[in-house]
This record gives sequence, C-alpha cells and structure tokens, in this order.
Amino acid sequence: MKIDTLFIDKAIPRNFETDYLISRLKTDPQWVEDSKTVYDFINDGDDPVSKAKKTLYITQNRGAVIRECPGTSFYTCCDYTILHTGTFCTMDCSYCILQAYFHPPVLQYFAGLEALAHNLEKTFSQNKIFRIGTGEYTDSLIWEKISPQPKFLVETFARQNNCLLELKTKTVNIESLLPLDHNGKTVIAWSLNTQDIISSEEKGTASLKARLEAARRVESKGYKLAFHFDPLVIYPECEIQYKKVIKQIFEHVRSESIVWISIGTFRFIPKLKQIIEKRFKHSTICYGEFIPGLDNKMRYFKPLRIKLYKEIISCIKEYAPNLAVYFCMEDEEVWEKCMGFFPKKEGELGHLLDKSAAEHCRLNSNFL
Amino acid sequence: MSDLLCEINISDIDLTDKRYKILFSEDDITFLARSIKETGLLTPPVVRPLNNKFIVVSGFNRVRALIYNNRVHNNETKIVVYKTKPDTTDYQCLLKSITALAFKRPLTHSELIVSTRHLSQFLDKKQIAKKSSALFNIELNVRFVENLLAIGALPDPAFDLIHGGNLSFKSAKRISSYGKNTIEIFLIIFSKIKASNNKQLEIILHIMEISARDAIKPEFFFNNQAIQDILFDENKEPGLKTKNLRAWLFEQRFPTIFKARQMVRKKIKSIKVGNNIKFLPPQNFESQNFSISFTAKNYNEFVASVQNLRAALGKKELKEIFNQ
Ligand code: SF4
Repeated sequence: MKIDTLFIDKAIPRNFETDYLISRLKTDPQWVEDSKTVYDFINDGDDPVSKAKKTLYITQNRGAVIRECPGTSFYTCCDYTILHTGTFCTMDCSYCILQAYFHPPVLQYFAGLEALAHNLEKTFSQNKIFRIGTGEYTDSLIWEKISPQPKFLVETFARQNNCLLELKTKTVNIESLLPLDHNGKTVIAWSLNTQDIISSEEKGTASLKARLEAARRVESKGYKLAFHFDPLVIYPECEIQYKKVIKQIFEHVRSESIVWISIGTFRFIPKLKQIIEKRFKHSTICYGEFIPGLDNKMRYFKPLRIKLYKEIISCIKEYAPNLAVYFCMEDEEVWEKCMGFFPKKEGELGHLLDKSAAEHCRLNSNFL
Repeated sequence: MSDLLCEINISDIDLTDKRYKILFSEDDITFLARSIKETGLLTPPVVRPLNNKFIVVSGFNRVRALIYNNRVHNNETKIVVYKTKPDTTDYQCLLKSITALAFKRPLTHSELIVSTRHLSQFLDKKQIAKKSSALFNIELNVRFVENLLAIGALPDPAFDLIHGGNLSFKSAKRISSYGKNTIEIFLIIFSKIKASNNKQLEIILHIMEISARDAIKPEFFFNNQAIQDILFDENKEPGLKTKNLRAWLFEQRFPTIFKARQMVRKKIKSIKVGNNIKFLPPQNFESQNFSISFTAKNYNEFVASVQNLRAALGKKELKEIFNQ
C-alpha cells in the first residue's frame, strides 16, 4: 500500500535517518507538534484502519524500546523479547490483531538509531541469551526499501554474541540485507500460509512462492531462517495444503538453516470479528468452530487444533527430525498430545529455543 | 395557528387514508366507545380537509369508536373535531399526529420507527435527533435515529412482528442491513417462532455464518428441509419450534463440537452414576477439568453416592471420557 500522507514529529532531529526516509517516500511531509493531528486525521473517515495504512507518522518511541512479549498464564509462552521499532503495517491481513489493538491504529516509524543502539547495548552486555524480534507490533521489513534501520540492526547485532535478531515478515524486502556482514546473528523469518489463505486473507503480502524464493536467497547469503505457521486456518482439505507448503519449504532451503518453526492456529479477541466482518466482507475466517479460550480469545475447538497440529508436526519431522518446532500459546494437553512432551517449568520453552538459537547463530552457549 | 373546532358528518371522514397514523395495531375500541357514550368525547380528533372529505391526523381510535357507536346505537351522525386550516402543511399534520400521542404516553419502538420513517420525508437524521425531545417527548441521539430509519425501511410485516414482540429491536436492526430476500426469510422465521432477543440474535448469526461459510445464499439455506419441517409443523408450539431450530442450527454451525458433546453425554449416561451425581465435562473441552459433584443430606446418601462413583470406576466409558 502506498503512503499518501506523511506526518513527522517536530521533536525528532533532522538527521541522516529522517533525510533518508523523506527522500525515499516521495510525499511532502507535514511536521506536527504532537500525535493529536495524526489521530484526528486518521479518525476522520469511514474506515480509519484503511486510512491509517496509508498514513505514516515518523516519530520517536516514548515508551520502552525493549520489552518482554506479553504472554498469558493459561497458555505456554516462549519468553520472547520485543524490540519496538514501529507500529502497524502497510499490508492488510484480515486477521491482523493490530487492527483492534491500537485505538486508532497508527502507522508509526520510530526514528532514532542511537536510541536503539543505546538500548541494545544494555541487552548485549547481559550474561543471558535473548531472542529479540521487531515483528510483534509491525512487520519487520515493511520499511526496508526506505529506511536504513534494518541494515543498522543487522550490523549492530553482528557485533555481539548473546542476542539473536529475528526479522519476521510477509514481504520479500531483502535486497539491502543481502550484502551485509550479519555474522550469523540475524534470523530472517517468514510467516507462511497456504496460497489459498494468502490470496483470500493476506492482502498486499508476497505470494508463498515469492516468500520461499526470498528465503532461498537470504539463505545463500548465510542468513539463518525461521518460519511461522501462524495463523493456521482450518478449512476443507487444509491439511493437504499445509503439507504442500512444508514440502515446498524443504525444496527451497536446507533444514539446517532453519532455527525454528512455530505453529499456532488462528485465535482472536472477540472484537476483531466485527472489524473483519466490516472490512473484509468476503472473509469467512471467523466462521470456523471457535470457542472462547481460557484467555478470552476465540480459539478453534481443541480436538480440531490437535488434529491439524499432529499432521503438520509429523510432516515437518519427516523432513527435519531434529528441527525445533514449537507452539505459540498452547496448553499442556496440546503439547503432550502433539509433541509428546510439555515444557512445564517456567522458562523451559524459552530455554529450548535459546539452545536452538545458540547452536544456529553461534551465540555464547555459556549463557544457556 | 390553532385548528378550528367544528362539527362534521362522521360519514365524511375517510378512515382508509392512514398517512398520519402512527399507532400501530387496531386496538379493540369497544371500551372507548362505551366511555364516549357515557361521558362524551373529551378531546376531539384532529382532521384535515382533503378532496371534499376529511382524513384523520390524530384520534383514529376515537373516530372508530364513534363510528362503532353510530352503528350500534344509530344515533351519532355528527362528530366534533378540530379541523386543520387550509394552509396547514403535510409536515405540520405529521407533527400534530406524533406529538398528540407522544405527550400522552411514551411511544413504543414500533411507533417511533413509523414516526421517524414519516418524518424522514422532511428532516434528515440529525434534524430528527435535534428535535426529538419536542417531537417524541424523549431525547434520541443520531445513532438511534439512524437505527430507527434502518428498521423503518424493512417491509411492513416486520412492524407487526416488532409490535407483537416476535422481533426485537436489535434483531430488526441486524436484519435491516441484509438484502431483500434474506430479510424475507427472517421475517418468516420470526413469524413462526417465539424467542427472546438473545435467541433471535443467535438464530440470525448462525444462519448468516453457516451461509457465508458454505458460500450459499441464506435464502437457499432456509429452504433446507429440516428448517422447513421445524417451522411449518402445525402441531408444534412456537417455543418448541425455537428450541428445535436452535439445536439444529448449532449442529450445523459447530458440527464437531456438537458431536463431541453428544458423545460425552452418551458416555456419561452409560456410566449410570445416578441422578444425584452431577458429572460435567470441561466447558467447551478447552480446559481439562471435569467437574463431579453431589450433595448429601445424611450419611446414607453420602455413602450411596460414593458407592455409585466407585462402581463407575470399572467402566471403560469412564476411562474413555478422560482419555479421549
Ligand atoms: S503482515 Fe502482519 S502486521 Fe501486517 S497486516 Fe499482516 S498480520 Fe498485520
């Protein structure tokens, strides 16, 4: 989606990063005192979500730059760390939680490479492994073509050995990353789905084929990879389609390059349903057999989740028996029935993933 | 500008012209007729001259009661009315009709819907909301007026259903956003069943979601023999039809959940733990916690329940319930 309105926070300094952004955006910037002008602009319309996707606000992060991923007590969390580089997204997935998460959603780019470096230095100096990602509140690579930030992050992470950077995306914006000296510390991750779901629910994202081609290209430059099957959507014959996607993964890249694969079925907070129904009239994604989960999110009926997970896991294991596969937000019963074990202790799943991170990205294993 | 108090022939009133009528149903006017006979007409109706006749602006029931008296007692040929002035506009007549009722008693939803529908020929939703306290004796916000107008666009049978309590305001609002054919099927459904607001909304939701999921039109889904059998069974009460329809729709909307519940229910029944023991599976099978409880008034009852549970321990169905 093309940015047609650009707001810039007057408080941020004019420097290399902002000049870089402005020169590439080709939209006259409007300098604003505070975010109110931006909020008012976005809210003034029938569909603030769509408007927000075309309105970029370059500002600074006034909250925590590095934060822990918010899990819930009912479902096992992977102890991930979020690097907060921006919010919202220019692509338009029907199921995107960000539509309902911010009020209103604002497409923010947090400028300030020094602030990022400063915060990261503190994390780099700890005797602990961190898996850090920028793809929780936005897509990690939407600004790759117009921003020096992805390059900056890859190069910054290359100079330390206790943190892994995961750039999670549905784009194929990888060009500027290819020539970089990443020192193995950056994992480029793709959210994958069947082409049926990509076509019907992931508007503006790259095709499955393009994502896998991009994965092949970054792998050829020594980057490690990760894949996220999240959200898995249950529809007739979806098992067959998801297995085809898995087959395609291993036709494109070597299993040794993959640090982990996560899987999670579609879940949503109840109010997202109204947004989807309003904005995506042809989407039927909410009409599966959902029940209210223990965290008040709607989830597929558990036996259905388990059935699909089992198929997918056994298929992945056929290609890569030792690959770290984990669930994003599932409970003991699902783990036991699908994986044959449950990382019960606090931090246990995190530790498993840290191990895989250390092995694949040559992090300091003394910190495990 | 006040109307003129005068006497006219009852036969000159054209009751078939109901353009200003906002009262919903034709109430039984025998008591009113009797009262007028006893005490006389306390407030004369308002009429508007039109094509050598008069049409009623306000007081339909009073006119009907007088006609009734005329027919029964054959002694009332004249009626005292307020006649509107020749330059009174359509809009002014409508205001008279609405305010006459609204300042006598609160308007029902149906009356509000009909009133706003008429008013929308002269005012937009914002103007109606702004004038609402003066028109309806109650303040309405623009959003509510918008809803009234949306419902007002439904076909006429909807108003009878709303008036009769078969179609709630919220359900009417919901179906008002659908296409003509879809609206029609819901009007048929709600004319055959009697359900609370929540149940109506659930029925609408399930039909719309099943249709969307299966990529069929709701009106096509409505033709399903099972729905037809439930709705058009003359021997079934509307309450029972509602129950059967909801159960069938749930099965279609959540087939796996339905089957799982049936299966566990069957197994629990086959264990025969006795009526005193409540054996409940986890809600929606999301948690793993079953609930087994009983009450005991005395030691003997306690022992009996424990023994029943102990006897169940050997049953394979019990293990299956926990290990499925
Ligand atoms: S790519 Fe991710 S962040 Fe962007 S719209 Fe889709 S789900 Fe949301």
